[in-house]
Amino acid sequence: MKRTTLAIAGVAVAALALTGCSGSGGTASGGDADTLTVSGWSLSSTPEFQLLADGFEAQHDGVTVKLVEYDPTDYNTLVTADLAAGKGPDVITQKEVKYLPTFQEGGQLLDVSDVKLPDGISGTDSYTVDGTVYATPYRQDSWVLYYNKDLFEQAGVDQPDGSWTWDDYVAAADALKAGFEDAGVDATPIYQHGWQSTVQGFAAAQTDSSVLDGDYGYLTEYYERVLELQSNGDQVPFNTVTANKLTYQGEFGKQSAALMPMGSWFTATLVAQQASGEADDFEWGIAPIPQADASTTGTDATPVTFGDPTGFGVNANVSDEKADLAKDFLEYAASEDAAKALAGIGITPALLTDAVTKAYFDVEGTPQDELSEFAFSTHDTYPENPTSPDTAAIQNILNDLHSAVLSGSQDIDSAIADAEDRVANEIG
Amino acid sequence: MTTTAERSASSAAAPPPRRRSRLRLRNTLLGWSFILPNFIGFVLLTLIPVVTVFYMSLTNWNIFGSSQFLGLDNFIKLAGDKSFHTAFLNTLYFAVMHIPLTIVVSLGLAMLLNSKLRGVAFFRTAAFFPYITSIVAIALVWNLLFSPQYGPVNQVLGFLGIQSPPGWLTSSDWAMPAVVVVETWRRMGYYMVLFLAGLQTVPRELHEAARTDGANVVQRFFNVTLPALRPTMFFVTVMLTIESLKVLDLIIVLTDGGPGQSTTVIAQFIWTKGFEENQFGYASAASVVLFALCLVVTIIQFAWNKRRED
Repeated sequence: MKRTTLAIAGVAVAALALTGCSGSGGTASGGDADTLTVSGWSLSSTPEFQLLADGFEAQHDGVTVKLVEYDPTDYNTLVTADLAAGKGPDVITQKEVKYLPTFQEGGQLLDVSDVKLPDGISGTDSYTVDGTVYATPYRQDSWVLYYNKDLFEQAGVDQPDGSWTWDDYVAAADALKAGFEDAGVDATPIYQHGWQSTVQGFAAAQTDSSVLDGDYGYLTEYYERVLELQSNGDQVPFNTVTANKLTYQGEFGKQSAALMPMGSWFTATLVAQQASGEADDFEWGIAPIPQADASTTGTDATPVTFGDPTGFGVNANVSDEKADLAKDFLEYAASEDAAKALAGIGITPALLTDAVTKAYFDVEGTPQDELSEFAFSTHDTYPENPTSPDTAAIQNILNDLHSAVLSGSQDIDSAIADAEDRVANEIG
Repeated sequence: MTTTAERSASSAAAPPPRRRSRLRLRNTLLGWSFILPNFIGFVLLTLIPVVTVFYMSLTNWNIFGSSQFLGLDNFIKLAGDKSFHTAFLNTLYFAVMHIPLTIVVSLGLAMLLNSKLRGVAFFRTAAFFPYITSIVAIALVWNLLFSPQYGPVNQVLGFLGIQSPPGWLTSSDWAMPAVVVVETWRRMGYYMVLFLAGLQTVPRELHEAARTDGANVVQRFFNVTLPALRPTMFFVTVMLTIESLKVLDLIIVLTDGGPGQSTTVIAQFIWTKGFEENQFGYASAASVVLFALCLVVTIIQFAWNKRRED
């Protein structure tokens, strides 16, 4: 009899423990109307969230901004899971544009068309679906060309002057290689990271094409050039990049390469790593990315490049009162005040004014030449990921093309034909 | 406690029927109470999700809110999806290479380490190490080993006079064999332990009798050791098959399905469709196909084993 009671008690305890597990926890936002939760990632090494939170709190008495940290690599999956469970943050940071349609189609984002944005801010198109705005940008990285001034000097090669087409880029790489050999410098002219965007982003932007077209002939020229650079030793081969898991921070920071196309976020990293000693101490600069033809080169023209904004959206399930507060936060994050603060920690804000550019180059360790300033502040930036529900799937197909071609497994023409077939067959 | 309970129950001479049924109820409840914590976990975390997947595979659920019932549309789309065909064939290709290779290697290791050598415990431990090593570390090291330009594997091949060694993980032809090599290396220790346990049960007398009859080593292996190992072999084959068909983690960290689609497997197809493209309904349909594949192959193996048993 006693044992039966014990058994029943045991079962009850087990059941309680389990239901207790699933029943605990509350909403991430909490009930407090003056507390705004904002999603972020790697908070200790990504200071922009805390900076914006502090700035917003300073402007709004009694308001607390609570940052909710997510793992950076699985950010979208984790936020998606939280939103699906009804426990998402009030302000949903849009880390990657290609996931915006998922949130928008899923009814998770509030219409924020009434948030006032400063003139000249870029990246807003990426967050507009059928004329309705679902998020506002605060940061807009663009791809530029980082170069190592010391290595150029050692090789005796002229540094970039803003007039480069891709042909000039190839010629400079050839000259660098010869110069390194003569000077006995152990470096490769170009390090290009393994991402598909390092080829496809430029190809789409500079040929005015879109990944949504389903027609990828525009990639041919860009891949042929990279394959040639790889085969003649001007560029670290893709297979070495992937097999040896090379990092772009290490390759450029340790002076293994003189030229590196990279997004403007790298400035903050490089400045920090040079200060900490993680990267070598050398002179470097930023140049506009080489252009398809001469019409967009030179410092009186606007170079064409690509990049995606980072922005904030508002959770569709917040109360009206909270929605107003969240929209205030969006407005603040896009403002010139916030842009200057962001530029002060090496972030490229979506709003680039003279004051913002000045704040950016006031950071100790940033290059002080005019070309770097020009490259940072002047560009025609096309989105890498057009806002469409098909973008994520298409980019996956194009990523297969990228690895097949650059690894040397497939020639460019048949890889393009395969990708076009797959897009026609699998999308939509 | 249970033993004393049983003893006192049986020592009581022929208890009246009512008491016996109460005893049975009590024992049943007691039994349930032991299984229940695990069973509740199984139901909540495995059974309900699995049943839900079957329903989701018939919808276009995108994780948020409502979904439409599509009937078999997802499966029809899968049947015409070339990427799924590629993933399906790649999975079979992986399984066909991986299963026999792992059995041969782990059985070979087990026989080698079944003797009373000095330091055999050390070698057994060493062979088991890969199984308990972090998969990320495994991927990093093997990627370096297989590196086409600087990797030791190709340097050894070059030393042996092979002019143009393959690019291994960076070549669409050789990536899958390379993945199989790494997976076999990683799993061999685990299956070796199972085979070692199996080898301990092979009756020594049978070997002695066979030897007296003049059977040589090979004949003894095929006529004594292998038949005696059949239960172990069956278990290992079933586990290996299911594991091969579900392979995902190693491929993600080694090649991420590349180059191109040369190492994309079904599990990765599911992952991509579900978590990267948010087509959870479609991904569920692919999961159902994978489930069916595992089920059918396992049923065939059970049937075959039963026939051999009779």
